[in-house]
Amino acid sequence: MAKVAYYPGCALKDRSSHLDRSARDAAVRLGFELDELETWTCCGAVPPVSEERVMNLIASSRILKSVRDSGRDTLVTICDFCYNTLKRVNYRIRNDEVARRRVNSYLAEEAPQRDYIEKDDSPWNDYLGEVRVLHLMEYLRDVVGYDGIAKGVVRSFKGVRIAPYYGCVMLRPHKEIQLDNPENPSIIEGFVEALGAEVVRYPYRTECCGSYLSVSSPDTSTRLCYRILTSAQQHGAQAMVMSCPLCFHNLDTRQKAISEAYPDFRPIPVFYFSQLLSLALGVGVEDQGFEKHYVDVTPVLEMIRDGSGRVDTE
Amino acid sequence: MHEPRIVCFLCTWCTSAGADLAGTSRLQYTPSGVNIRFMCSSRVDPEHVLWAFREGADGVLIGGCHPGDCHYQDGNYRTHARVALLHRLLDDFGIDRERLRLEWISAAEGTKFARVMNEFTEELRSLGPIKLAAREMAE
Amino acid sequence: MKRIGVFVCHCGINIADTVDVKRVAEEASRMPGVVFARDYIYMCSDPGQALVRETISQEKLDGVIIAACSPSLHESTFRAAAQEVGLNPWQVEIANIREQCSWVHTDRKKATDKAIRIVSTMVEKTLLNESLSPIPVRITKRALVIGGGIAGIQAALDIADSGHEVILVEKDSSIGGHMAQLSETFPTLDCSQCILTPKMVAAGKHRNIRLMTYSEVEEVSGYVGNFNVRIRRKAPFVDWSVCTGCGLCMEKCPAKVPSEFDRGLSTHGAIYVPFPQAVPNKPVIDRDSCIYFRTGKCRLCEKVCEIGAIRFEQEDEIIEEEVGAIVAAPGYDTLPVTELKEYGSGEVPDVIDGLAFERLLSASGPTGGEVRRPSDGKVPKEVVFVQCAGSRDPERYKPYCSKICCMYTTKHALLYKHRVHDGQPYIFYIDIRTGGKGYEEFYHRAEQEEGIIYLRGKVAKIFQDGDKTVVWGTDTLSGRNVEIEADLVVLATAVVSRDSTGELVKKLRIQTGPNGFLSEAHPKLRPVESINSGFFIAGAAQGPKDIPETVAQASGAACKVISLFSRDHLEQDPAIAWVDEELCGGCRICVSVCPYDAREFDEERGIATVNEALCEGCGSCVAACACGATQQRNLSDSQIRRMVTASLGGE
Repeated sequence: MAKVAYYPGCALKDRSSHLDRSARDAAVRLGFELDELETWTCCGAVPPVSEERVMNLIASSRILKSVRDSGRDTLVTICDFCYNTLKRVNYRIRNDEVARRRVNSYLAEEAPQRDYIEKDDSPWNDYLGEVRVLHLMEYLRDVVGYDGIAKGVVRSFKGVRIAPYYGCVMLRPHKEIQLDNPENPSIIEGFVEALGAEVVRYPYRTECCGSYLSVSSPDTSTRLCYRILTSAQQHGAQAMVMSCPLCFHNLDTRQKAISEAYPDFRPIPVFYFSQLLSLALGVGVEDQGFEKHYVDVTPVLEMIRDGSGRVDTE
Repeated sequence: MHEPRIVCFLCTWCTSAGADLAGTSRLQYTPSGVNIRFMCSSRVDPEHVLWAFREGADGVLIGGCHPGDCHYQDGNYRTHARVALLHRLLDDFGIDRERLRLEWISAAEGTKFARVMNEFTEELRSLGPIKLAAREMAE
Repeated sequence: MKRIGVFVCHCGINIADTVDVKRVAEEASRMPGVVFARDYIYMCSDPGQALVRETISQEKLDGVIIAACSPSLHESTFRAAAQEVGLNPWQVEIANIREQCSWVHTDRKKATDKAIRIVSTMVEKTLLNESLSPIPVRITKRALVIGGGIAGIQAALDIADSGHEVILVEKDSSIGGHMAQLSETFPTLDCSQCILTPKMVAAGKHRNIRLMTYSEVEEVSGYVGNFNVRIRRKAPFVDWSVCTGCGLCMEKCPAKVPSEFDRGLSTHGAIYVPFPQAVPNKPVIDRDSCIYFRTGKCRLCEKVCEIGAIRFEQEDEIIEEEVGAIVAAPGYDTLPVTELKEYGSGEVPDVIDGLAFERLLSASGPTGGEVRRPSDGKVPKEVVFVQCAGSRDPERYKPYCSKICCMYTTKHALLYKHRVHDGQPYIFYIDIRTGGKGYEEFYHRAEQEEGIIYLRGKVAKIFQDGDKTVVWGTDTLSGRNVEIEADLVVLATAVVSRDSTGELVKKLRIQTGPNGFLSEAHPKLRPVESINSGFFIAGAAQGPKDIPETVAQASGAACKVISLFSRDHLEQDPAIAWVDEELCGGCRICVSVCPYDAREFDEERGIATVNEALCEGCGSCVAACACGATQQRNLSDSQIRRMVTASLGGE
């Protein structure tokens, strides 16, 4: 089975480990293995690209370099934040000579401890941005292909109306990310269609969910999530799908606060894209970690059919 | 002190007009150079430059229109390329590269013309006279 | 050796204060070939010029140096004076000892020394100067005007009125251009059609204008005064010479094609005229949408045409013409709404561009002048106008200001308010730019008397929500975000250069700037000429501009053409490149460096030649010539060498 270098990142290893698992299961059913890097560190999350400090680029560069040094040219991630960070650091390394030189001199300095990190005794080679960083969503679109997904689908989402949600970091800044049109994207729509579900188009799909404001200003995040979810519902959505663990967290668990603040609000099940994918490909409902969700997903699961009829949701 | 002598090859549309503007603005600069007006800086043959050094010039200034502004579309780009090659040749002759200077000076840049003349003269002063051996080689 | 006279001007005290003019004259008299040298207080005065003329005759001079001000001021003066007494003008040279000497130096001794070297430099040049005469070039007094918008129409009419023939080429089947689409024009609100149609008719009927609509320029060769043009006349599939324009065919045609003229807000048949006032008022068949051409069946138009004007077998025609001057007025486009992703990518039906709104306002438009929105035909009660949609946005779209939008948006809002009294127009703007006669007053009227709400800020996003079109913007004056649930949104999309302009400039070999607009020869002093002789430019293809400016520029371009045609032949500066055929090795480097295609390779003789009519005399090929075969007249390599030596004070 083809192996693809895989970087899970912190969220997918801890609170959202069920999403990591569903992605791995789905990959296997599509004929490839998400091969987790043997050793990896935090990508650095937002600071590497939000501050003008070269030091901040090192964490991501170290990860990318280890991928390159292991002879691989592609790194897949399934978290929008990791994707954004790794891809933008890579862009910086490719395009900013000063940053490239400084980062490499730092990396060279820690080379003596490299054995611990990389178990590699090849001669030192500057990292020049050689690795291609792909979102699993991008891998599905460009490598597996939507046809490839459709072929593997064993459970039918026919008639399920799903609203794609993009959030902020998956598509922007466009110059560096180049994944899809940031104003009018289509990548998640294509994915939803490949599963056989019905795409719901609504205006708020690229609006912010509040991101980290859910910590410092939860009311703001509540208001933003409310607008997004109700807009999707008004356009007929029965479920939401996204590819960012933070958006996922906000849009799911924040529904408690939303229900308290807005009495008219009706909850809506929220899925991570890897969950829908693995469900469609036949992975068991019990392997999805739905028990961790705040909003009950059963109403959606009840609409999914497989060869023998209704899927067992117990 | 050594008083440098400069030959200035100026295009008529931009740099010579800029030199005229320096005059009408009564800007003062050192009288170290004499201007030779061409239609375009691309008329300057590398041989003219070498000839100037042979004849005792301490420096040669070529003045053209800013990139994109050439009256003849792209003559200044050709000049740019020729000067780059000529600089290498000067190395071989043992003539300091700094003695051949290419400047984009527009018809509106009288001040730049005056400044360049002063700067260039100062630079040539500090370089001193061209070594005789180099001059003979140029011959 | 030549007999040279040197005249040193005092220019009052301008030169004489700093430069010892007497000493300059004295030194000059000892220079090679100089038989006469003296100073004089004002050389350019009448007595000064008389002195030059008399001396030339008395001393039998065959070379003259005037040491005075910049050649840009009086070179032509003294050359004309010399010519009066029979001396070839190219034997007269100016030594610039004012702008480039006396005015920029203070040390009298050094300035005098420099002045002497300047004079010496020009003496060396003059010693080797040849007598030249201007190169006469014959001229075909017929003009080609490309583009039948208001710019092309105006230029064609002006040239034709002066008695010269004009070929007016228009790619569409009718002339009129964008101006024909407009409802009313700012700031006077006169009806665009009413002022344009008479001009269209005049151009169509003028005995000196040959209208070639539905035609495109294929190829242009030759040079100023003598262009050869190939024009493709696209097959209209209708014999225009017999068609009466009755319109029966158009009524009966079963095909439905979105009207380009109405910006897709209406449809017409596959056989159509773009608008009722078309000139010429003859239909064409759109091959791509014609049912017969697509399926082989139908020919309904042929059946109903009583005079049998339909010609399905017609083919494109190539017409060759000779012209002496070309006016390029290919017009503009606006940035397609589909490019503006944050404004709905053209997928929201009630987000339209300014030209579409013009059609909604126009009495002859698809709604008969009633403002009805495209989605459901309802009269919109809240309309948001968004300025700078794609303009002044260097990161994503166009960096420049489209210039006309502030005014036409104000006009739109005002006309909307006149049609829908209880409607509310909003205008989002970055700045309001009203540079033009009566423009600021017009804006004030709109803002203060007509109840239009101006919001200073950009619009972030536009999307459809139910039957509303939601606009998210910001009001930077109050610092608040604004959300408007509008019924209709009108985008003032950026004025852009047409894609076809890019193809046209390649055929004409003229230039465009970084944004694809035609380049003028000088941004201030030669605004209607291309840098290449014989090409003139007009209209918004040169840059966004309003109607009065376009018309002025078109008349300016026409005037340049007429001035060109007022001569019997053209005179080219003879100080150009020439080839010593004995020396030329045929390497063709010169051919590759020439920006004007003036250097050609003669296959038969194996040498490079100079097309004298095309050569502009830049000298780039002279410097590039590896064997010295190419030289520039009166600026040969040997002249330059002697000038360099003299400038350094050597012999």
